[in-house]
Formats: sequence, C-alpha cells, structure tokens
Amino acid sequence: MVAQLLLNGTITGLLIALPALALTITFGVLKFPNFAIGSMLTFGAYSAWIFNRLLNAPLPVAAVLSAVTVAGVAMLCNFLVFSRLRDRGSITLLVASMGIALILENICRFAFGNATRNFNIEIARPIRWLGLRVNQEQLTIVIVVLVCVAVIQFLFYASPIGRAMRAVADNPALAAVRGVERNFIANVAWALAGALVALAGVLAGLDRAIDPLIGWNYQIPIFAAAILGGLGSPIGAVVGAIVIGITEELSTLVLPTNYRQVVSFCVILILLLVRTQGLFGGKALRK
Amino acid sequence: MMDGAANSALSVSGLRAGYGGGGDIICGIDLDLAPETIMAVIGPNGSGKSTFVKTIAGLLNTRAGEISVTGKNIGNLSPAKRVAAGLAYVPQEANIFRNLTIRENLKLATEFLRGRTGVGPAQEMQVLSMFPEITRRPKTLAGNLSGGQRQMLAFACALLANPEVLLLDEPTAGLSPKFVGETMEAVARVRESGVTVLLVEQNVSAALQIADEVLVLVAGQKRLQASAAEISKADLAALFFGKAL
Repeated sequence: MVAQLLLNGTITGLLIALPALALTITFGVLKFPNFAIGSMLTFGAYSAWIFNRLLNAPLPVAAVLSAVTVAGVAMLCNFLVFSRLRDRGSITLLVASMGIALILENICRFAFGNATRNFNIEIARPIRWLGLRVNQEQLTIVIVVLVCVAVIQFLFYASPIGRAMRAVADNPALAAVRGVERNFIANVAWALAGALVALAGVLAGLDRAIDPLIGWNYQIPIFAAAILGGLGSPIGAVVGAIVIGITEELSTLVLPTNYRQVVSFCVILILLLVRTQGLFGGKALRK
Repeated sequence: MMDGAANSALSVSGLRAGYGGGGDIICGIDLDLAPETIMAVIGPNGSGKSTFVKTIAGLLNTRAGEISVTGKNIGNLSPAKRVAAGLAYVPQEANIFRNLTIRENLKLATEFLRGRTGVGPAQEMQVLSMFPEITRRPKTLAGNLSGGQRQMLAFACALLANPEVLLLDEPTAGLSPKFVGETMEAVARVRESGVTVLLVEQNVSAALQIADEVLVLVAGQKRLQASAAEISKADLAALFFGKAL
C-alpha cells in the first residue's frame, strides 16, 4: 500500500515537474511568478485534444504540435503583454499573468464548454511489477518527463543559449553588455515554458479527463514544487515536484483524498515561514 | 558628428544622460579618444564618472548627443548591439556571472558577439596567460572568487570579445594594494594589445601612472581634457575643488 502510494506520488511529482520547471525558467529570467501556468497547461491539453481528436493526429504528434502551439501562444503573450510591462516590476507582471490566465481558461471554456474530454488512445492493461500496479499512462509520464528534464539540463548547462539564460537570470545588465539580448532570451524562456507546460497538459490529460479546470488543479502543487525547490533552480523544481507528489499521495493515508492539496498549501506556508529560498535556490531568491 | 570622430576610437559629442525623470547627471560632454590610448576619467564622488561610462555602454538612455566607436554611431543601439560595434564594458560591481563557472564566464564572453569575431585561438591563449590565477581553476564558481580575481576574470571576458574600446569602471575599487598594482599593469598591457581604454578611477595617482590622457569631470561637466604628462597634482586638486585653471 505504502509502496504503491510512493510510486504514484513519484509519478504525480514527475507530472508536476514539467510545469514547475517552466515556472522556474520564467521566474529565473523574468523575475516574476507566472500565475498563468495552470491555464497554459489547460490550453496545452485542449490544443493536443484538437490535434488528436478533431484532426486525427496520433497522440505523440498531437503532443508535439500542442507544444509548438503553446510555445507560440506564450511568445505572443510576451510580445503583447509581458515585454511591455517588464520595467513596471514583478507585481505588475504577476497581475498581468492573472489576466492572461483568465483569458486562456475562458477561451477553452468558451470553445469547448465544461464537459470533460479524453484523448483518442487505446486502453491498455496495467503492468504488475513486484506487487505494484503501473499503468501505461504512468510509464508514458515517467519517460516523457525524464527525457524533457534531460533535454532541459543539457540545454541549460551545455549550450550557449542555456548559458545565456543562466547569465540573464544571474545579472541581466552584465549579460546585455556581453552581447546577450534580453528580449531574445525572454522569448526563448517563454517558448520553453510554453512547450513544457503543453506537454504537462497532455500528460495530465492522459492521467485524468480534460476540463477547463484541469490546469487549476495543478496550480498550487506547481507553485509549491517550484518554491520548495527554490524558484530559479531547475533541478530544485524537479526534486521539489517529486517531494510534493509523494507527500500528497502519502497524505491520503491520513486525510480524505480531496484534501491532498492542503499538503501543498502547508508546504508553501512552512517554506515562507522557515526557508524562503527553498531547498536549492538560496542565491536565486535572495537576489 | 564632431571633427576627427572618424579617426577616433571613441567619440562622444554633446552627451546628456540621467536617471528616470530626474535632471541631467551628464551635462553635455564631448571627447575624442585616439586609438590605443588610455584615458583616465577622474573627478570627485558624484561627478558622474560611472554614469558617463554606463551611458556609453548603453545601460542608461542617452537624452542628447552622439556616441561613436571607430566612426560608427552607436548612440541608438542596445547594449548588446554595441558589443558588436566593438565596445566592451567592465562594471565596477557585479562584473562577472556569480552562478556560472569561470569557464562558462569565459565561454559566454565570445558566444554572443553578433557577427563580430572574438579573439583567435592564439590571442585567446595570450589573453588567458595574462590571468593565470583564474585559468587554473576553470570549474570554480565565479561567485567564489576574491574581489581581485573577479576583476581579472571580468577583464579576461572583456578582452576575449576582441574590443576596439574597453570601458573600465573603477577596476581597483575595494582591492588590496597588491591587486591595485596588478590591475593597473593588466590595463597597461591591454593598451599594448591595441585596445583603447576609457578608465574611470578614484585612485588618481594609480590611474595617472598608466594613462595617456586625463578627463576631469565635475558635476557632470568636462572640466579638463589634457595629456596625463602635462597635468600636475596641484592642477587636479584645484579642479576637484571647483576652481578653474
């Protein structure tokens, strides 16, 4: 029972890891918490649903097209809203992201209504392994997330663009006088964040039915994971997400399952009181 | 554009700049800097020296005036595009990326030159050999370096970009006397490698030892531009206290 909960929690955590990573990328480069992260996830799930159900694309193709679509939408939001407000401070950007969240969520609600929807995939038998039950969707989540984290890690630590993103996160003025255009890096950050969140939306749509609130259900755990890992620390976001996922699952041993998000609230509360920099983000948050 | 700008490494004409909606901090400065020279910019605290170089680097918007590097007007370019025009800037503080390693700092110095070519492999070896202390530990986080070592790393990064003009904002601030000497020697070697240097410095005597020319700023205005060999300490003292020569 506990082992199954640990497994489920790890997989839930991995699912949260992608948007937490996206949140921490935009926070690192742009210095504000993007409140539209949940709505972008919803948008990703619905756009994949369109490609998969309405245009009959296989789900992997639909997922890639959805990632490209949401990356484009994120860059458009940056062009229309965030880049114009960049010098107004993080609170203004946070409020603007709340507005974007409402717009994206209501576009989905207006277009698709409140009915739940599912991807067109074959139902497969779960695998039994050492007494644990693992379904195909969970395996897909593990593989996709691990590949994405490896790609992001490579991008951040072994490519010029990644170095430039870390440089802008560290010291934007110095990055500018080293030839790094902040607008270009901001666009890259938004595109990456959009793609990651869209993929998370697809994975969430595999895990549960798609509805206009699918992203909102993940919003608090995403923030808890990113804050726990230390906003601005990519590895921290992944570790934080897994810790949140496991803790939420284990909490169902003592709490009704619909109260599991209380755990995320408690983690945020404790961190804000005790360790504001999270597990890995000392320097990033203090700056 | 002013006469001689085309032959100057750095040319500034009628430059005005300030912060936010406040008044001008830089009040109409002109200067022409010949190639391969060091100009020391000195003046009392608050005279606008750092603001002056920040404006040339593009970190502060120009309110009026022109800036050109080797004859090319860069006044309307972003800081990143000024790098492509041949400008390198080493700020007084926060002049390295603390969360990147030494190697990453050095790599980044040449990765975003936007069409401009950084130094070649031979020159790169030459630049790095000027700073053996930092090149010995490439995997060290730059934030763990001492003040002097950070300064050296910042220098190295600026030089790897193969600039025409190097702007240095108080490179010896907060350094021990040993590092002050080493830093000034490094600046002199930079000039010998063909780079023009605009050096903002509070340590006037150290700056005068290596400078070819001196620009004295008082209250955001140019009070004097002269050869370093011609200017006396008495003249400088008079200028610092607001007297005309």
